[in-house]
Amino acid sequence: MSESHVAVGGHGDFMEPSPFGIQSKKLTMWLFIASDAITFGAVLFGYAYLRVGTADWPTPFHFSPSIVNGMVMTLVLLTSSLTMLGAVEAAKADNKPGAMKWLALTILLGIVFAVLHLREWFHMFGEGWSLFKNPEGGTVLFGASFFSITGLHLMHVISGVIALIVIAIGYNRDWLDKNHVETTGLYWHFVDLVWMFVFPLMYLMNATR
Amino acid sequence: MSTAQGGGIGKYVGIWIGLICIAGIEVFLTYRGLSTHQLLLALFVLAIVEAAIGLAYFMHLKYESGYLVWTLVPFVIFVLLMMNQIWPDAYRLASLRLGTN
Repeated sequence: MSESHVAVGGHGDFMEPSPFGIQSKKLTMWLFIASDAITFGAVLFGYAYLRVGTADWPTPFHFSPSIVNGMVMTLVLLTSSLTMLGAVEAAKADNKPGAMKWLALTILLGIVFAVLHLREWFHMFGEGWSLFKNPEGGTVLFGASFFSITGLHLMHVISGVIALIVIAIGYNRDWLDKNHVETTGLYWHFVDLVWMFVFPLMYLMNATR
Repeated sequence: MSTAQGGGIGKYVGIWIGLICIAGIEVFLTYRGLSTHQLLLALFVLAIVEAAIGLAYFMHLKYESGYLVWTLVPFVIFVLLMMNQIWPDAYRLASLRLGTN
């Protein structure tokens, strides 16, 4: 190979194709998702350890409003995954107005989820729950684990909404492409997937039955 | 390589409804008077089913290269399984507390 070939063509001509058949940004997102899945797994195992090892674990969630609120949040997040798929499919079909419409809906649903989540938190604060307080007089570990784990998930949702806004602006102005929409979609679906564990383990397992 | 190209969201609506139904079943089981262990097992199995469906269809892992699937999934599962070391100590703590009561 000549030096000019390397200089002009870059290294791409001499590199093997990816064995995964996907762009590096998508592979990076998959690796991030794998590591984040392990992070959430670790905090949920930590919660399970505390829950099993603590005799007076509280179960404060009544069907209304807490479980109903959780069900609505689940519906909103699942629907946002569907609208995200709409954005990805429209972007793949080079339908920019359609992709923008679906992205806007996904962002809106993400904001609704965050608002519902914060409403639930403030309701609990009003009852006296916090990271270090249990108004029922038992262990404080429930508040610590609940607010930590749901807070970690809420942080992912808010980060996802911000990422979606950036991607929507960039895609609309042509400095980002349809692959960026698909890669961000992967992250958004992952946030939804984590909620499929957080809702039953943090809400339903702590429901007043 | 992804082969799920174009075509709108119609093909995903059935999966979306299925996931909502599974979440509904979880809530239904919560109030069926199961013991804590039975409920945990049922909810955990249903959550894994939901996650698998989400991974396969919403995240398109079903359509990706087998190399990608076999590089990511077994190792994540292996790490999560290794975390199961916590249970003996968690139950030891519980029995210690019971012993003092």
